[in-house]
Amino acid sequence: MKFPAFPAFTPRDFPAFTPRGFPAFTPRGFPAFTPRDFPKPVARVIAALPTWPASRAFALAANLAAWPALRELDWSHVHGRHFCVHVRDAGLKLYFSLHADGFRAEGSGVVDVTFTATAADFARLSLRLEDPDTLFFNRRLLIEGDTDLGLTVKNMLDALELETAAASMPAGFGRVVLHLRRLSAEG
Amino acid sequence: MTAALLELICPAGSLPALKAAVDHGADGVYLGLKDNTNARNFAGLNFDEKSLADGIRYAQARGRKVLMALNTYPQPATLPRWHKAVDTAASLGVDAIILADPGLMAYARKTHPQLRLHLSVQGSATSYEAVNFYRERFGIQRAVLPRVLSLAQVENVIDHTDAEIELFGFGGLCVMVEGRCLLSSYACGDSPNTFGACSPGHAVRWEQTPKGMETRLNGVLIDRYADNEKAGYPTLCKGRFEVQGETYYALEEPTSLNSMEMLPEMARLGIAAIKIEGRQRSPAYVAQVTQVWRAAIDAVKRAPESFKPTPAWTAALAKVSEGSMNTLGAYYRPWK
Amino acid sequence: MEMIKPVKRMKLALGPLLYYWSREDTLAFYQQAAGWPLDIVYLGETVCSRRHLLRLPDWLELAEKLGAAGKEVVLSSQTLIESESDLKALRKLIADGREGGNHPKVEANEWGAVRLLAEAGCEFVAGPTLNAYNPDTLAMLAEMGATRWVPPVEMPRETIRDMLAALPESTHIETELFGYGRLPLAFSARCFTARHYNLQKDDCQFRCLDHPDGLVLASREGEDFLAINGIQTQSAKVMSLAHRFDELPAAGIDVLRLSPQWRQMDRVVAIFRALADGDIAPKEAPARLDRFMPAAPCDGYWLGEAGMDYHPVGAPA
Repeated sequence: MKFPAFPAFTPRDFPAFTPRGFPAFTPRGFPAFTPRDFPKPVARVIAALPTWPASRAFALAANLAAWPALRELDWSHVHGRHFCVHVRDAGLKLYFSLHADGFRAEGSGVVDVTFTATAADFARLSLRLEDPDTLFFNRRLLIEGDTDLGLTVKNMLDALELETAAASMPAGFGRVVLHLRRLSAEG
Repeated sequence: MTAALLELICPAGSLPALKAAVDHGADGVYLGLKDNTNARNFAGLNFDEKSLADGIRYAQARGRKVLMALNTYPQPATLPRWHKAVDTAASLGVDAIILADPGLMAYARKTHPQLRLHLSVQGSATSYEAVNFYRERFGIQRAVLPRVLSLAQVENVIDHTDAEIELFGFGGLCVMVEGRCLLSSYACGDSPNTFGACSPGHAVRWEQTPKGMETRLNGVLIDRYADNEKAGYPTLCKGRFEVQGETYYALEEPTSLNSMEMLPEMARLGIAAIKIEGRQRSPAYVAQVTQVWRAAIDAVKRAPESFKPTPAWTAALAKVSEGSMNTLGAYYRPWK
Repeated sequence: MEMIKPVKRMKLALGPLLYYWSREDTLAFYQQAAGWPLDIVYLGETVCSRRHLLRLPDWLELAEKLGAAGKEVVLSSQTLIESESDLKALRKLIADGREGGNHPKVEANEWGAVRLLAEAGCEFVAGPTLNAYNPDTLAMLAEMGATRWVPPVEMPRETIRDMLAALPESTHIETELFGYGRLPLAFSARCFTARHYNLQKDDCQFRCLDHPDGLVLASREGEDFLAINGIQTQSAKVMSLAHRFDELPAAGIDVLRLSPQWRQMDRVVAIFRALADGDIAPKEAPARLDRFMPAAPCDGYWLGEAGMDYHPVGAPA
């Protein structure tokens, strides 16, 4: 028997790591699709920023870009649960919850489950180029807290069809996602 | 035997994974419903009736098979749900159902005599006497053998049964005889036989601590990894324990089975199908692994004598393996 | 007026010896067991085909002696059958057992044995690894000749009760529960004892002999967790239902299986006998049993929880 693990965040969750999805916190020259770490000084600056505006910007972007596709699924059993996405190399922690009307930014007080990886790995997961268990085996992905909740999210996102999801994204954005996926797969 | 030879059977935990398997060359996919009627009962995974119907349509339109796993052991209170699942499989037109429980086989045989039955690995049949029991009594057409036999022992089974034999080719490796392992329920109350999963998510906790990344199952420390160490699944058989003052992987290292170099021998023995483990994994994994195994099986069918796994295949498979390691497992006797 | 139901006397069985002891020790153990207050004794090697200090003729001889001492004797078959020689031994066990003087029954521990026994028209005991988890499978076993079954060791009391309640009226089968001893949890092709000593299984030097109650495996926090016994993995804790003895009849248990341990088994049997005879109360049992046990008790499976859990009587289950 094997155990499935680990969150696969698909593009809808992480517009942050597509070149255009996350203007507020994209450092110049952000190497979105090469597995390079953030430059340390940049990471230090990001880490020093208050997390609330970051989480708010994230929730806003996620609602715009991802929610139209995600809302098709039944998320009722994760409603109100608190997530933290920890972008390790950027020193960035995003806190949010999911509700019937989409993402909501949260404070850092209560967290049910935390996902930790680098920006590049989150991006590769988002584009379905990487298998989350593989990243876990290689210690590039960590899931802490409520494992079952993490699994639920990971498996539900795996069950989303990328093409269908891209079609329900705002005009142009879905095409960009699919294009990026092709480019990255080839590169 | 005029039956199929070396079919490639790939895992599907979701519709995108099923499509990835079909698109990358699987001859068949196996899948399960969203509950404990199958041995990959994890939250958010598997198929409901709609996605199952979509999946069957997608695969069969392309000439591929869909095998549905109903391979846990129903209990008195929940037996009707297993019966209903068998009925659903029959009415939606799956190509076969994969069963472990004799009582359920009797039901399937009686209620849907046309439905093809496969004996699941969870049925723990390691001898031809056991395989023939299911064959005679329920007419099973194929048996999946537990990952505990050497190839010579597999050959002996094949020589004494007319059931088709399916073997695991790649993926997560059960060190224990499947269907005969209660380690998980001893620690957390849920076992593959009854719950459909070992180390279920609700009992697993990962935590980064100053000593390293810790994996616990219902509080029991299974392992602690230093920063540079590869990790494995949080199953008890892949944990590090202390025995007489020595701490090591007492049962098995985090590793995956990879039997590719034995493909020519498997072809010679008349193995009907090679199964890839991993319904819990992502469509990305299914695509990568299916692609490699399709190429390998085609190569072995073309020229079995000169077959050798290419470095690229081996590297691709090692990359997605538990602990990034591969083993021939019990197929290679010294492993035991 | 309240009807007083006649309480059926619980039978006690000595399960098959799961460990590998020297020939002398094994023979001495069963010599003593002949004098213990047991109803049933299971004999034979169920774990590893390489263990050879006692062969079938030895077991049959023991069977005769124990039978003469008034015990019902059952020969247990091997759980993991891998090779043709394993099958040969199985066929011999079934055939020779049948032709022997006292006709011991066989405990079938995998479905190949069930097939052979049914073919031979023998009554048999359905062992715990046959995975009878529902009444359909159990009724089928009974129809094929099983006169007694041992539920999977993880099966909770409610499930056992439900299983028996759902059996057809015409099905009669005794229920024997694994009630004392380190739980047999898993079987593998690999020998973990040999692995511990960096030996290959084929050249294991029979190191199991050095670990007459298994080799304890602890977590990295020093918590005793499992016990290695060759290809078998057991619980480190000792399953004991002594303190819950009075709960057994309501679940339909007819026989309680006590699994052999290296030392003080006579004392363990005596305490369970006293429980069965009503000479001591279940709540008194743990204090008496404690010093004869090789490890701490557990009872979680009986209550439908993690097998390693333990609930003293009086504490909420």
